[in-house]
Amino acid sequence: MVSSSDKTIQSGARRAALKNGLRVGALVGATGGVGLTASGRASAEVTPDPLITEVQDWNRFMGDGVDANPYGKPSVHESDAVRRTVSWLTAENKSSINFTPLHKLDGIITPNGLCFERHHGGVATIAPADHRLMINGLVDTPLVFTMEDLERFPRENHVYFLECAANSGMEWRGAQLNGCQFTHGMVHNVMYTGVRLKHLLAEAGVSPRGKWLLPEGADPSHMTRSIPMEKAMDDCMVVFKMNGEALRPEQGYPLRLVVPGWEGNMWVKWLRRLEVGDQPWHHREETSKYTDLLADGTARRFTWTMDVKSIITSPSPQAPILHGRGRTVVSGLAWSGHGTVNRVDVSTDGGRNWNTARLDGPSLSKSLHRFYYEFDWDGSELFLQSRAIDEQRQVQPTKDALRAARGMNSIYHNNGIQTWHIRPDGSAENVEVS
Amino acid sequence: MKSRLDGFYVRRPVRLSLTLLSVMLMGSGQVVAEGDVSSGRALFPQCAACHAVGEGAGHLFGPMLNGVTQRAAASAEGYRYSDGMKKAVDAGLAWDDATLDAYLQSPMSYVPGTKMAFAGIADESQRQDMIAFLKQIAVDGTGAVAADATADVVATPLAQEEPRPLARDTVVPEHGVLHLGRQALPEEVVAWDIDIRPDGLGLPAGSGSVEAGVDIYDTQCAVCHGVFGEGEGRWPVLAGGFDSLTDERPEKTIGSYWPYLSTVFDYVRRAMPFGNARSLSDDDVYSLTAYLLYLNDQVDEEFTLSADNFSSIEMPNVDNFIDDDRMEEPQYAAIVEPCMQDCLEGEAAVTQRARILDVTPDGGGDEDAGGSID
Repeated sequence: MVSSSDKTIQSGARRAALKNGLRVGALVGATGGVGLTASGRASAEVTPDPLITEVQDWNRFMGDGVDANPYGKPSVHESDAVRRTVSWLTAENKSSINFTPLHKLDGIITPNGLCFERHHGGVATIAPADHRLMINGLVDTPLVFTMEDLERFPRENHVYFLECAANSGMEWRGAQLNGCQFTHGMVHNVMYTGVRLKHLLAEAGVSPRGKWLLPEGADPSHMTRSIPMEKAMDDCMVVFKMNGEALRPEQGYPLRLVVPGWEGNMWVKWLRRLEVGDQPWHHREETSKYTDLLADGTARRFTWTMDVKSIITSPSPQAPILHGRGRTVVSGLAWSGHGTVNRVDVSTDGGRNWNTARLDGPSLSKSLHRFYYEFDWDGSELFLQSRAIDEQRQVQPTKDALRAARGMNSIYHNNGIQTWHIRPDGSAENVEVS
Repeated sequence: MKSRLDGFYVRRPVRLSLTLLSVMLMGSGQVVAEGDVSSGRALFPQCAACHAVGEGAGHLFGPMLNGVTQRAAASAEGYRYSDGMKKAVDAGLAWDDATLDAYLQSPMSYVPGTKMAFAGIADESQRQDMIAFLKQIAVDGTGAVAADATADVVATPLAQEEPRPLARDTVVPEHGVLHLGRQALPEEVVAWDIDIRPDGLGLPAGSGSVEAGVDIYDTQCAVCHGVFGEGEGRWPVLAGGFDSLTDERPEKTIGSYWPYLSTVFDYVRRAMPFGNARSLSDDDVYSLTAYLLYLNDQVDEEFTLSADNFSSIEMPNVDNFIDDDRMEEPQYAAIVEPCMQDCLEGEAAVTQRARILDVTPDGGGDEDAGGSID
């Protein structure tokens, strides 16, 4: 069903396109053969812009009043800023993944509707009044909390990135996917509101023998992971709000675990139970999956921390340079599970020479950081790279260094430096360079 | 619709009678299934792992079921039916209440060779409910979701609320620091605490044999994991792959990779079969675990697994897991200021490019895609 307001927008856009088409046609006719300036526009005889000289529909006619969208939506012109999946990654879509459109975003906060999804048994639908959180195992008093109970604990607000350990995993063997959405889009950054786990555990009273914690989800996968008690007592949270509003169903509504800086699989969604134990459980997601197979056939387990990493989000294959040579803004994201990002360097020549980029916006521990590098592009081909350095002074490694250390089958924890090949026409491709 | 009541505007929901709707959709002359549409809808999640319904539904492992009773059997465009199903259609199979009932009771005996390796719905009234549900799903998917699921929520006028209990009468528990939550009852802990550890902690009483595991596996698991654990499509391979962990394409199976048997029991019990979790009995899980050991050459066909002998089983790859030592790798071990100028010799040359193997969505074929997530 098309609402009257949609019709207005569509017909308005059609008229504008028609006018622009006429204008371009007129330009070509008038200037034929005249060279192009850096901005891609004809250098001589630029005709007045009808978007300025003529009264447009949106200048004249009323748009929607208030309440046309009780829950607001992005502009119709932003319909390509959406999560996307890669169908061949998984067997079907209920245990699958999609990707955050990093190339369409700026700043450090990921809008709730664009946070990538990863489920193992579909999105559970739970009424908050029907949700319970149990704490059992090696505790003085096993407890059950309702959502109302949880909101009576002291609340905190923190911005944290969540990165899937398999982010960039498809690139272990070499360049494969054309777009930072697909190579790096299993990450999002959200301000959470919730309660520190230590307060909940104190309520139940953890036994001195309690060294491990097993969170469990209420969805059909009943997701579980083993978390060491020091981490649980340090900065882990149970949260019910993201970016100010209730968690989205696909992010674990009404309750999820937050494990700052550690791999996303541990951030159990639809959280219903926390068990305290004296040993790890070695469940499926920490043995069969999320273990890092090395070249000699051994495998690392409990590889929790997400190492220092960065990615240039624009220009990139989905966001080519359209403006020609001249002033150019390189924009990207950097993060580290070890804390804050100290610095980001950008190379335009495939790692021969580096320039320090400008970090902008809040620099928060275990949060995405936004960086910019502005320069005058001469129009020649570029090999764009970014390299992050975190507060532990760990430097983001090259992909070759990771392969040399781990072999080709590690899948997880690929934080290697990404290269975008910018061609003279401004288009970009995912490559690796010597 | 709005009406004025005690000073509040109350939105009245429009509710369609589902039973009435299904009768309307079916047209005249057909036998009306006795079943209840909403009960059938509630049963459908067990089918949803393989069959999609609703607006925009496509084929999964099984064909899309929008309007399934309004089309000729095995006629959904773009779906590759089994030879068994094609043979049945050639022999005159058409879907009506009677044939659907027989098929849903035992798919594999009614249509030998069908891909639908599903044990069937034993309960006749449940089959009737399912058929009633399927019959009222239109070709465009209408009817898959309850008609009132999107109807407006009724706003309750404040005037009708019960008087609230007084805050001072609330009983405050004594446990903990802030005295929040309540003590979990033993029955509640038992109901949810289903996890198993490598040392056997958490194992329920019971046992199961390889022999019993065969039947359960073939009806509940083989549809995705293959008849001998070899995997269908991109579903996980469960058996074999021994000595492949250093290969170019390692096969990480239960036998070749998983360090502990307890993980198999725990995972099957908590999450399998896909789309019908927690439906297996403890003995079923013992039997399946025994059969998976057998498929991986760890026990013989006479073997029976129980809580008593569980811990005696050691998996072949148990010693090949090490703790995280990433920070000892060369690129992290030496904390050095990174090079800023003339760091590499010569000009950069492309060594790999995505275009060679363009598996980006909309970018070309994905047949040769490498790597997967599961």
